[in-house]
This record gives sequence, C-alpha cells and structure tokens, in this order.
Amino acid sequence: MTRFDVGDRVRVKAAFPPGHRRTPHYIRGKRGVVERVCGAFPNPEELAYSFSGEPKRILYRVRFKQQEIWPDYGGPEKDLLELELYEHWLEAA
Amino acid sequence: MSEKRPHDMGGEPGGPIDTVDHGMKFWEKQANALRNTLTSRKLVRLDELRRAAEDLGARYYELEYFERTTHALRQVLLEHGLISEAELTAKMAEVRKRYD
Repeated sequence: MTRFDVGDRVRVKAAFPPGHRRTPHYIRGKRGVVERVCGAFPNPEELAYSFSGEPKRILYRVRFKQQEIWPDYGGPEKDLLELELYEHWLEAA
Repeated sequence: MSEKRPHDMGGEPGGPIDTVDHGMKFWEKQANALRNTLTSRKLVRLDELRRAAEDLGARYYELEYFERTTHALRQVLLEHGLISEAELTAKMAEVRKRYD
C-alpha cells in the first residue's frame, strides 16, 4: 500500500530531527514529482540504532528541478535531480 | 532545529578534489575485510556504522576514511557487547608489544 503514485506532486518535509536521517538538508521543504516507486525497505533510520527497521517504509524516486533547489543555479530549466526518499519524509503538494 | 551531521555535505562548496589513487594500506585492507565479514554475517549493519561515524561530529573530517569507519566499527561492536573496552585495550597492548 503506497501513499503516492508515479506523477504525484510531493513536498519533502521541512523537518530537522536529530539523529541519523536519510534525507539531505538541501532538499527539505522542496517540491518534486514521484518518478517511480522503488519498493518497501526496512527503515534505515531505525536500523541505524539497532532496531529491526519494521514496519518497512516505501522508498520513492523523486524528481526535482535543479533551478528550484539551488537559488543561484545557472543551468537550463530542464536540468533535473533525482533523489530516493522514504515515504515518511514526503507529504502531498 | 538540529545541526547538519558531518556527512550531509550536499550543496556545500567542494574545494579542490584529490584525484590521486592512494591505494590501500595493509591495515586498511584488514579493516575493510573485518567490516565486510561482520556486515555480511549481519553482526553489525551498515546503517549502524554510518550513524556511529556521523556521531563523530567535527572529528569526522579530522579522520581519514578508514580511521572513521574503523572508529564506527569499534563503537558498534562495543554497543552490541561483542567486545568489551577491557578486551580491546588488552588486545591492543598485546599487538603493540610485537612492534616495541
């Protein structure tokens, strides 16, 4: 059961919890589009502290426009960045 | 808001890039072999090792790659009780004697 489908617009949570996190700071709060659903994996943010990582979390590949990520980006509008992000870091946009 | 952890460097100026292949020292190969054995047997997880390396904070960049990963391995083995501080200290003293 996945919360998002390919083509859905999502926003990365602008959250800053302490500890081992798999979402880089520079992408937090940014908007993108789901490019694919990668599958379900044990949650690495729990595995990092020796817990089981269950329940598994859905991992998505999300596509972002470079121009929307970097304020001083000098490249063309078509330049993209794809990141793999877990469902609990995403909200509907 | 928590501070960025040391591995989270995306978007920061990269500085000069060292493209020289420095090879691996003997101890680095041993450290790598030990880490691969322990992770493939699931005695420790890469996620735990990454977390323990990030926990180094500012020291993360003072250490070289294999120093950092070996520190992490030490930390996680201690956490799991697979080795004790006393055993490690005794073993290190024993090994050091071979070179004195």
